[in-house]
Amino acid sequence: MVWTRPIGRIGRIFSLSYLSMTPLLILSPLILLAALGAVWKARPVHAALLLALSLALIAVLYLTIGADFIGLVQFMVYVGAVAVLIVFSLLITRPGDEAEELARRPRSVVTGLVCTLPVLWVLVHVVSRLGNLPAGAVENPVFSVAHVGQVLFTRYAPAVLVVGVLLTAVMIGAALFAREPGKKPQCPSDS
Amino acid sequence: MTPLTILLTLSTFLFTLGLLAVLTRRNAILILVGIELMLNAANVNFIAFWRYGPPDPDLTGPLFVLFSIAIAAAEAAVGLALILMVFRHTRSTDLNRLDSLHG
Repeated sequence: MVWTRPIGRIGRIFSLSYLSMTPLLILSPLILLAALGAVWKARPVHAALLLALSLALIAVLYLTIGADFIGLVQFMVYVGAVAVLIVFSLLITRPGDEAEELARRPRSVVTGLVCTLPVLWVLVHVVSRLGNLPAGAVENPVFSVAHVGQVLFTRYAPAVLVVGVLLTAVMIGAALFAREPGKKPQCPSDS
Repeated sequence: MTPLTILLTLSTFLFTLGLLAVLTRRNAILILVGIELMLNAANVNFIAFWRYGPPDPDLTGPLFVLFSIAIAAAEAAVGLALILMVFRHTRSTDLNRLDSLHG
């Protein structure tokens, strides 16, 4: 597809020049700030909207580093479907008031940090030792959507079939779960 | 500092924030928010290693992310349907109140 090319070219110009890291250095703190808001905000709707912002910024990050197709998919699926789904379930379930959440916070944050900081330490330790990697000098070229399609339906065709079956099962299962129990499903034409 | 390090650091902190959300929140929907953040951290890693790693004509990294996004969408749909079902029974999404199996 032609329309993904300009973004890819911009990404390539950015990544080949000295400025390659500027978009990353700008976007990463923004993503982390939005994610922090999603974790920290006591009001659930704010948390969900900040999650949507964080996911949208990650999509922009993908566009910037040359994974155009993945960025667009991320935008459509995560921002368009998952985040909206979360906001709507918050609307349906009317979550409890945030005073309770705030009262519980000091204890839960201490517990959370005690469990999280070791994980963070291990991950930072691993990332800081990455200097030994032989890679890093090369940059994979930006791919076209045609290439994605070709690889997807030849080499990864079994996986595509499995994901198709999974999505069908999920659609049926989610519809069954969310149905009002005891109510017969009705055709709109019957009523 | 290479672009790879920046992306990996980003995903490290993103994963930690998601884990923190899962451990500290009590609302089931907000725990799902934390899970989404962790999944996205993993996706950022895949893209980073594809882009700044060894040559990869098969596009393993991006396609893994594609499948991961599909499965994450499925997981969110089933998770939210389950939460709706629980809400219908208990009129609450607070996980602390779901203790009817507690002996």
